Amino acid sequence: MSGPAPQDRHDHSQWAESSHCRVAGVRHFGAFAALELIAPKVAAKASPGQFVMVAVPGGGHLLRRPLSLFTVRADRIGLLVEARGAGSERLARLEVGESVTVAGPLGSAFPTAGVTNALLVGGGIGCAPLQCVADELTAAGAHVTAAFGFRDFRAARVAGAFSIERLWVATEDGSVGRAGTVLHILATLDVPPGTTVYACGPTPMIAAVQHWTLAEGLAGYASLEAHMACGTGSCHGCVVDTARGKLRVCSEGPVFALDEVRP
Amino acid sequence: VSAAAAAPLDLSVRLGPIRLEHPLLDASGTFDLLEYARRYDGDYFADFPYAAYVPKTVTVDARTGNPPPRVTETPAGMINAIGLENPGIDAWIAGLPGWARLRQPVIVSVGGNEPAQYAAAVAVLEAHLAVADPGTVPPIEGYELNVSCPNVSSGLQIGADPGATAAVVAACRGLTRRFVLAKLTPNVADITAAARAAVEAGADGLSLVNTFKAMVLDRETLRPFLGNRTGGLCGPAIKPIALRMVAEVAQALPGVPIVGMGGVMTGLDALEFIACGATAVAVGAANFTAFEAPQRIVGELRDELSARDLASPEAARGLALKA
Repeated sequence: MSGPAPQDRHDHSQWAESSHCRVAGVRHFGAFAALELIAPKVAAKASPGQFVMVAVPGGGHLLRRPLSLFTVRADRIGLLVEARGAGSERLARLEVGESVTVAGPLGSAFPTAGVTNALLVGGGIGCAPLQCVADELTAAGAHVTAAFGFRDFRAARVAGAFSIERLWVATEDGSVGRAGTVLHILATLDVPPGTTVYACGPTPMIAAVQHWTLAEGLAGYASLEAHMACGTGSCHGCVVDTARGKLRVCSEGPVFALDEVRP
Repeated sequence: VSAAAAAPLDLSVRLGPIRLEHPLLDASGTFDLLEYARRYDGDYFADFPYAAYVPKTVTVDARTGNPPPRVTETPAGMINAIGLENPGIDAWIAGLPGWARLRQPVIVSVGGNEPAQYAAAVAVLEAHLAVADPGTVPPIEGYELNVSCPNVSSGLQIGADPGATAAVVAACRGLTRRFVLAKLTPNVADITAAARAAVEAGADGLSLVNTFKAMVLDRETLRPFLGNRTGGLCGPAIKPIALRMVAEVAQALPGVPIVGMGGVMTGLDALEFIACGATAVAVGAANFTAFEAPQRIVGELRDELSARDLASPEAARGLALKA
């Protein structure tokens, strides 16, 4: 096994107080929107892998939506939204100049210390936090390769939001990049021993990546998705099975050691 | 300007023997003190916003809870089926030193599937409190018996059966001299029957309402969305029903302290529960909407009283019950 051991993870700063953040930029990629928010207090504490809770403007939605940090640059945070339901559709329609209420950063972070070779594996909207970890690893001089999987060409449009030098894309319908899933990309890559894997995506993808890393003798981290209510550890709505028992994605996660998750 | 406007506004209330700085507490399972404290820049214990702390329900044995998904949003509310996930009373007691410096009174929410399970949890905690160094435990001043668990013998919620509710209260009453609340389920035809049964069995007060049993479908598969199929509905959608039930119980059992709850999002919502006869008001789903929700609601309640020249929550209590 290689890469930082789970016990080396330190407790990253979390901050749950609300900030009113102005939307400074919006780019659309099909059903996805890449939002740039002016959020100095969140950005000052944020680490890759953490998330924020975003209130849906307009008052029709009780619960905030958990969104991974897509980018953190100076006093700004980037978020990637996929319009899937009424709440996320509203967030994806945000315009420059509007404000949203954001709480964060929340949750555990991807450890990056000491990593020289990294493989980022993402599926769908799960690719979002991998830009943030790519930025941090690249700045630290690590060699970063990414493999992203999407359902079809519509979903794959969001790949255009990413800025990662070695980025491979697969689509299940074969319309963009390699035909198949990210596993088909992984099978073609020459992955150096000691590479640290960072995975985020739907549960079946996490299970497949976990299986692949075990076979390859690699270690790494998985960021998990879950339905959340509070996002701050109170409600126990987002628990997942792990080697350490049931843990909250919002509080003990979203980042777990890849070998401890039970997808 | 009336004479009352000049009087200083006093938000404090008495919930039985428990003095509260103001009427607001957290609804069990919606607010985890230690999780708030570790996401706060200051000292959350110094700035604790509620007048009392009701932790997540504890049962005598550890429970892993229901399969996911456990939560989702609904129109004007949300549904949950957590399944009383908790570490069990022994592990829960072992964690008490971690928040022993809380100044506010604690009301311990206890659950179970039969009276003996409730009684066992209360007995274990009472035995610990009898010998514990006061510096190692928070100020536990009461219990809230959560009778919304399924009854192991009938499969129905204990709270749906006045006799079973009374049996739970009776099993615990003799084990503690602390204040005992029974938390009633609204999933009944007549909530006053369960309320009366709980009080006759020795409950000092009543909390109402718990969540409404409900179902949400996955819109693609048309199958139940929650892993548990059904769950409990809460949030603003239930507030009018909760107000009606609080008013009914307050009229049926005058003098019995009530902790009202159900969709309280604002200070005005809290004042409405007080007007329906509640002495204290619990905030639930609003805790999920913003970290600062408790402080905001307390401030709004003060403003709402002041705007009506009401000198205290007591002055507003029961206003909706008058003919």
